[in-house]
Amino acid sequence: MASAMTVNELKQRAKWLRQAIFDMVMEARQGHVPSSFSMIETLVALYYGGIARIYAQQPHHPERDRIFISKGHAAHALYPIFADLGFFPADELARFTRPEGMLGMYADFRIPGIEGISGSLGHGVGMGAGIALAARQNGEDHRAFVIVGDGECYEGSIWESALFAAHHRLDRLVTIVDRNQLCILGRTEDCLQLDDLAAKWSAFGWAVVEADGHDFASLMSAFSRIGDTGGKPLAIIANTVKGKGISFMEGNASWHNKMPDAALLAQARAELSTPI
Amino acid sequence: MRLMRDATIDTLCAAARKDRDILFISADFGAAALDALRRDLPEQFLHVGICEQNMVDLASGLALAGKQVFLYAMAPFITARCYEQTKCALAAMNLPATLIAVGVGLGYDHATLTHFTPEDMAIMRALNGIEIWTPADDLVAEALAHLCVTQPAFRYIRLERSPLPRVYSDPTAVLASGVGVLRNGGGTAIVACGALLENALMAADMLAAEGISTTVIDLARIKPQPTAALVEALAGCSRIVTVEEHMREAGLGSAVLEMLADAEAMRPLRRLGLTDGFEVKNGHRADLHRAYGLDATAIAAAVREGRG
Repeated sequence: MASAMTVNELKQRAKWLRQAIFDMVMEARQGHVPSSFSMIETLVALYYGGIARIYAQQPHHPERDRIFISKGHAAHALYPIFADLGFFPADELARFTRPEGMLGMYADFRIPGIEGISGSLGHGVGMGAGIALAARQNGEDHRAFVIVGDGECYEGSIWESALFAAHHRLDRLVTIVDRNQLCILGRTEDCLQLDDLAAKWSAFGWAVVEADGHDFASLMSAFSRIGDTGGKPLAIIANTVKGKGISFMEGNASWHNKMPDAALLAQARAELSTPI
Repeated sequence: MRLMRDATIDTLCAAARKDRDILFISADFGAAALDALRRDLPEQFLHVGICEQNMVDLASGLALAGKQVFLYAMAPFITARCYEQTKCALAAMNLPATLIAVGVGLGYDHATLTHFTPEDMAIMRALNGIEIWTPADDLVAEALAHLCVTQPAFRYIRLERSPLPRVYSDPTAVLASGVGVLRNGGGTAIVACGALLENALMAADMLAAEGISTTVIDLARIKPQPTAALVEALAGCSRIVTVEEHMREAGLGSAVLEMLADAEAMRPLRRLGLTDGFEVKNGHRADLHRAYGLDATAIAAAVREGRG
């Protein structure tokens, strides 16, 4: 199992991951940078911060925690991590979305490290509930982590699954809501109000904790509630900025899947390489 | 007469007693046989509430964790209501889960349009990798349940709501080939499945009394298409009449046409089924069959007309 890193090392990892995703997406001119960048610190905390049980070189280790990115358009953010963990050769990243490559824009479940298909929204919480329930029945102690978008919380299926997980006291299930405030057409609160999201998850029977989704201390504190919820599943509302790390993308809905021109590309690379 | 759902659940319950990885999920839908499963195996029975979308996503997670999952609900709600979940969370990963639907076609006669499934074959057979069965009686339903336990795959099982008279003494052959020959008189073949086989057999009797012999074929498996078995069953038949409680588009009759085309074994074929704008009618299923031209009289007429 990978050993945990210091906060400074985690920040370096977050910087590396943003750059690696950006390079991969810009090479292919396909992908979703802003949706990936809002959850970078969450991914780094899970995979490198000692939160999730991960086994390098062993994507199918039976005791691993199962991590689902239910907001599937951003699941490609995992590919550099998987390559780093030795799940597949790093040169696959250069073949992202290419016919000869195995890494698709939307994560296929056959990719080592991907636990289940995603792309269509609203499936991950139910799938995670099934994983958590099976683990309990089998006497196994791995957990299921599901990252959902805040816009994804418009899907009714999320709330069907939330009801189920709370009723069955699936405290091995952790849902992280990437609260980046944006869906494709604009701010969620202008499109269709989601607030108070924490109150909604709480009303559905979940333990809820809010966190600054770009601050490792805050995220680690939120994750420390795992196993300390009185049997409830845990929802972490991670308040984030869509496009975090590239100033012209931050909080700007129009960059959902748009590709920058040469000048902005250079600006983005410069911002992403700023020393921590 | 034993209900198909009881035959199915009794079989699954017996298997579940020996294998704790078998799970049965209901979206608020029951059966007499379900009581024993709920009482004796509470860990293996899940009531998910009236939440078909979560039922399928949950089943996906359970199947990914190695569980053998059976999902159970009324036919309209386990098909169209959660279709996108089935497409993404089951079909796309080819997970070995079984969808068990009760009350296909016009089975919920008095409930009418919301509870009919005039589109279920069309949408379900378009799913990648699915296997689809319509048992003709309780013995076939029981044998299918055995098949699901012993050879797990992604399947959709279309059960009748009401008991049907037995048409098979031994379901082995129809399970092996997907096609059953219930009458073998040559001439015109009447192809149906499930409840409409009763009407097809009545039509065959009416025609036999007039000296017209027919063949009656049970298309028990509509996918994968049992093309060779169907063509073999049709060997002595010059014409075909298909009958279904489904829109004429993309259902059983269409599947028969596809198989004949693939085998380059086309012959005159007439499809009886529901047509655009079919009217809501109060009444029992037999009344609906009369109203929609799916009863024995209509089937016999279609056979006679084509012989001219």
